[in-house]
Amino acid sequence: MVGIDRRLLQNVDWPLLGATVGLVILSASTLASLQVGRAGGGVALRQLAWFGVGVLALVTVASLDYRRLVRVAPLLYGLGLAGLVAVFLIGRTVSGARRWLMVGPLSVQPSELFKLCFVLMAVWFLTSRWAQPVGKAVLLMSAPLAAIPAVLILKQPDLGTALLLFPVLIVLLVAAGMPMRLLGGLVLAGVAAAPVAWLVLKEYQRERILVFLDPFRDPLGSAYNVIQAKIAIGSGQLLGKGVAGATQSRLAFLPERHTDFIFAVFAETWGFVGCLVLLICYALLLLRGFDIAASTREPVGRLVALGVTALVATQVLVNVGMVTGLVPVVGIPLPFMSYGGSSMVVSMMALGLLLSVRMRQFQ
Amino acid sequence: MGRLGYLGGQMPRRPDPGRRRIVAMSGIAMAALVVIVCQLWYLQVLEGGRFQEASDKNRIRIRPIAAPRGILFDRKGLPLVDNRPAFTLSLIPRELERDQTRRDATLGRLAALLRIPYADLQDAVSRVSPDSILPVRVRRGLTMDDVARVEEWKLELPGVIVEVEPQRAYPNSRFAAHLLGYVREASDEQLRQGRYRRGDMVGQTGLERLLDEFLRGKDGGERIEVDAMGRQVRMIQSTEPHPGAQVVTTVDRRIQEVAERAMEGKAGSVVVMDPRNGDVLAMVSTPAFEIDRFTGSIDRGAWLRVIQDPDHPLLNRTIQSQYPPGSVFKLVVAAAGLQEGTLVPGDRVQCAGEFHLGNWTFKDWKKEGHGSVDLMRGIRDSCDVFFYTAGLKIGAPAIVKYANAFGFGSATGIDLGAEKFGLIPHPRGSRKGAATVWHAGETVNISIGQGAVLVTPMQVARFMSAIANGGVLWKPRLVQRIERPDKGLVWADSGSVNGHVELSPMVWAFLRQSLWAVVNDGGTGGAARIPGLDIAGKTGTAQTVANSKSSKGQDHAWFAAFGPVKDPEVVVVVIVERGGHGGEVAAPIARQIFNAIFFEKVASIELDG
Repeated sequence: MVGIDRRLLQNVDWPLLGATVGLVILSASTLASLQVGRAGGGVALRQLAWFGVGVLALVTVASLDYRRLVRVAPLLYGLGLAGLVAVFLIGRTVSGARRWLMVGPLSVQPSELFKLCFVLMAVWFLTSRWAQPVGKAVLLMSAPLAAIPAVLILKQPDLGTALLLFPVLIVLLVAAGMPMRLLGGLVLAGVAAAPVAWLVLKEYQRERILVFLDPFRDPLGSAYNVIQAKIAIGSGQLLGKGVAGATQSRLAFLPERHTDFIFAVFAETWGFVGCLVLLICYALLLLRGFDIAASTREPVGRLVALGVTALVATQVLVNVGMVTGLVPVVGIPLPFMSYGGSSMVVSMMALGLLLSVRMRQFQ
Repeated sequence: MGRLGYLGGQMPRRPDPGRRRIVAMSGIAMAALVVIVCQLWYLQVLEGGRFQEASDKNRIRIRPIAAPRGILFDRKGLPLVDNRPAFTLSLIPRELERDQTRRDATLGRLAALLRIPYADLQDAVSRVSPDSILPVRVRRGLTMDDVARVEEWKLELPGVIVEVEPQRAYPNSRFAAHLLGYVREASDEQLRQGRYRRGDMVGQTGLERLLDEFLRGKDGGERIEVDAMGRQVRMIQSTEPHPGAQVVTTVDRRIQEVAERAMEGKAGSVVVMDPRNGDVLAMVSTPAFEIDRFTGSIDRGAWLRVIQDPDHPLLNRTIQSQYPPGSVFKLVVAAAGLQEGTLVPGDRVQCAGEFHLGNWTFKDWKKEGHGSVDLMRGIRDSCDVFFYTAGLKIGAPAIVKYANAFGFGSATGIDLGAEKFGLIPHPRGSRKGAATVWHAGETVNISIGQGAVLVTPMQVARFMSAIANGGVLWKPRLVQRIERPDKGLVWADSGSVNGHVELSPMVWAFLRQSLWAVVNDGGTGGAARIPGLDIAGKTGTAQTVANSKSSKGQDHAWFAAFGPVKDPEVVVVVIVERGGHGGEVAAPIARQIFNAIFFEKVASIELDG
């Protein structure tokens, strides 16, 4: 099955790949302007190298039949969980967070890879014979699928990735036919559980939420990121300051500027017009993803396509939302833009899954 | 059916509710993107200008460049005070650590490094807004060692900088301390008036205070772009500081130095004045304070020591101390008598060392008496009995009238603040009426400059100048002109007369002749005699109220003189507190000063030229 025949190639989704390449180019040029890393521009080159690795991963995943992957999903999910536990035991700690596993010279972020395992596992479960029809029982049964790894990831701590699993699961449940009143009940339960969650959150995480509600609560402390990001974005104005003029980014006022806050750098440099271009790329990518899901009538393929699309969509919306001050700050990278090998490869693999579904849509 | 409906849509014709749900989700995602675009429109287009300002404020720092304070020159162009670069430790609140504990750690490190009280640093930081980009100057006058230590630890001390500021430098530590005055950081009181910023150097006394607004320059500054660590990336704009104005005073640095040396170890003062225009050539008050210790950061211990010193080194004795004039005042009595016609040069008095009035006995300073004394001898030998007799004849009202005419009892008008007026009693009693009765004994007392009469050395200098120049009372002039480097002359004083005494030429000539005799014809001022220079002067030995058993006694030694007699160029007034006899103590000091002015001049010009 690894070989790709002509019929499959005809169904490659070129707009989807075009939007992706566009995003990667924007990412590399933004990273190059920051001059982070040892030799100036080192990060941009490494991002491009990871993109190359990602292309291989994409081709490999796309050439596999997604149905075979879903069939082995419990195994992948188990391996993913094992990775998370390994991080917990022997992970590398960087600035207070234990998120990385050392594999030879590389540091791998198992929680990134786990996202895909999770999507496949959720699809496997929802298309299994125990999950029909999708009702209260299925909802309760599927909850641990997300909750168990979420706890492990939360312990790293990585609130963003942990929270990411739940919307993806809900999207899949809804698409699988969960009654809407159950969704309503879920929302109510979420509201009711908020005070409990408050107690579970770490001090800095609570602070982030308070700061979101009132950024000037502590302008030089925990709200610093939010305010500096807003200054960077706002000062980009309509047409941006250009690479040389982007002082907020270039002079390092923005923290995490090559990873989670890269959107602010882009917005400062290229302004509102540049942001529109970037967001149009994402819109195109997501619309293609949703379209592939909608136009696939084979249930496993539809849910896989929707699952990875939801994964990317949630990350994009939450990341840009937090950088522009619409949602509280949670550490989530912006797919294809933020620097990071694991994130890039996993995002490319997600596209590979999408292409795999797309190419086999009409079989 | 639900299963097939959502997940099993294999048959094209069947309805596909799952597809509808996916399309709806797609719509929700796009709606969220639209919300984000709206937020971007708000941030970048509607509020963009405001954020642009915030971004500029982030990256731009202002580093002030302190303007050098104006320099004070003497009348020959020699600097009385100069500037030298000094190092100042400053904190920039905006660049300090944002986290409270880490900021405290920085301050603690700094305190330990330079041995500064930690509380001082805390205090300085707490007084200003944490967002301020203007440096707070916390310590002036760092040593090279301190500077090296701060530079070495630079990376561990974010927000801490060492500025180079021009600071006052003096020829020696007490030079002209009262005349120049000290410069110190604006006090809380001055800050409340709102004219100064915290850490500004402000002239606190003397000319520094009087001319502060001229001497202060306008600070320049640099606008630099920095990164988030506060490191300079590039210079955006630089404004040169405007130095303060240059002040040309009337003082002669050489005379000032000579006078200070002559007064070393004594309490008192010297005024040297040009009788032709009222220029103050030297103005010495001893003991002086160490002016250089007051500049820069305050050493509290030194400050307390100065304030509590029983000799009051901060007092400018030339204008703020009031003394009985003693026999110097006899000249006023003589002038009054001669001009009013109640006294003629030929009047003779037999002096047996005592004078009786009713039950009272007034003693002459010379126990055995002076024998038969006329006016000329009365002045020359300072015979008290002669003036007791003359004073009663002339009467208190005339004496007081002439004392006032000569400027006693009122301000000389010198520009330095806080001048004392002295005191000339009113013979008709207090202004309120009959409460005080004037006794003849008081007339006897004031006739020899005792009793209620009080004068300042500056008043005596002006009085002697009037005798030397024939009655013109000049306002003592200290500042000739003020020039700004860019604008040229901004202020000038060509001297002004603020009083005139009308005596007949005969009287002036007689007074000068008698004063010449005091020094040159066996009078009490013989110690001031310099062969080749005709000096005229009058000694005074002022008794103070308290008597003391000390060998020096309690008498203030006065000597007031001018020279050369023919065409007076210089008036010298010396008073040594509790010095003893004027002729023995004060006259030799005046002699040293005259000698330096008239006989060391040539050498000095050669050196200057």
